[in-house]
Amino acid sequence: MTRQAFLARLREGLAGLPAHVITDIVADYETHFADGVAAGRTEAEVAAALGDPSRLARELRAEHGMKRWEEQRSPSAAGGAIFALLGLGAIDIIFLLPLLMGVLGAIFGIGIAVIAVFFAGGVVFAAGPFTDPPGGPVAALLAGIGMMSGAASVGALLTIVVIGLMNALVWYGRLHYRLLKPALEPQGAA
Amino acid sequence: MPEAIEIQLKKGALELCVLALLSQHDSYAYEIASRLADAIGMGEGTIYPLMRRLQTDGLVETYLEESPSGPSRKYYRLTEAGKRSLSSQKASWRSFSGAVEDILGETQ
Repeated sequence: MTRQAFLARLREGLAGLPAHVITDIVADYETHFADGVAAGRTEAEVAAALGDPSRLARELRAEHGMKRWEEQRSPSAAGGAIFALLGLGAIDIIFLLPLLMGVLGAIFGIGIAVIAVFFAGGVVFAAGPFTDPPGGPVAALLAGIGMMSGAASVGALLTIVVIGLMNALVWYGRLHYRLLKPALEPQGAA
Repeated sequence: MPEAIEIQLKKGALELCVLALLSQHDSYAYEIASRLADAIGMGEGTIYPLMRRLQTDGLVETYLEESPSGPSRKYYRLTEAGKRSLSSQKASWRSFSGAVEDILGETQ
């Protein structure tokens, strides 16, 4: 493979990352080719020693996605990290997927329920005292506050659980490329 | 399964080797990759994902240095956290490999 072909496949694999990250990564490999050629090797030799550019791109993407999650902890970063993990294509992550979907579905359902209870609490608090409730207006006010604060605390717990789950996933994903296995296998196999 | 054992051993040692090389002197990726490729036979492309991860973990940092020939070059150096990580990894490697050596010696 020539330098051109290697870099083109690398770029292709990195598509979707921020432009400055791609530039950074591609510059690293360009320098590597330049250094290799300066040391008297051919482009094909350097490319063979580097390994499969598509696989390298997948690992670099995964690393980027997980780094963004660790820095931002936002829902979009979480989504990005999950997709990057799936991109690693490890077979056991794919087996994990149905389980993960179930867990995500449950979390989503509980989240919706929490929001609903919160608003219901708001309605009880605001409208309850005027509808002549059992126990009097004060009981309705207190019940409304109780429902809202209960929903808020369940919501907070849920957030903690989600963050913990994402961290576990990131740790699990890193296991897959810290192994570095394909790159360490005899180069003829690639 | 000698190959599987070899891969496991190299995988464990790679990060330690990179940190150890950088503790001798600051270096650039091509130099690190070619030293390690010769010495322990790892794929050269592996070095870049690894260096980015070490950077993410705050164990190494980069700086640019003018090169006499051509454009300036990206050098890596150990951070304080990197030095601490190296000494603790080195200690656990030594005690582990020492224990393995002892057992291998007994079976000879």
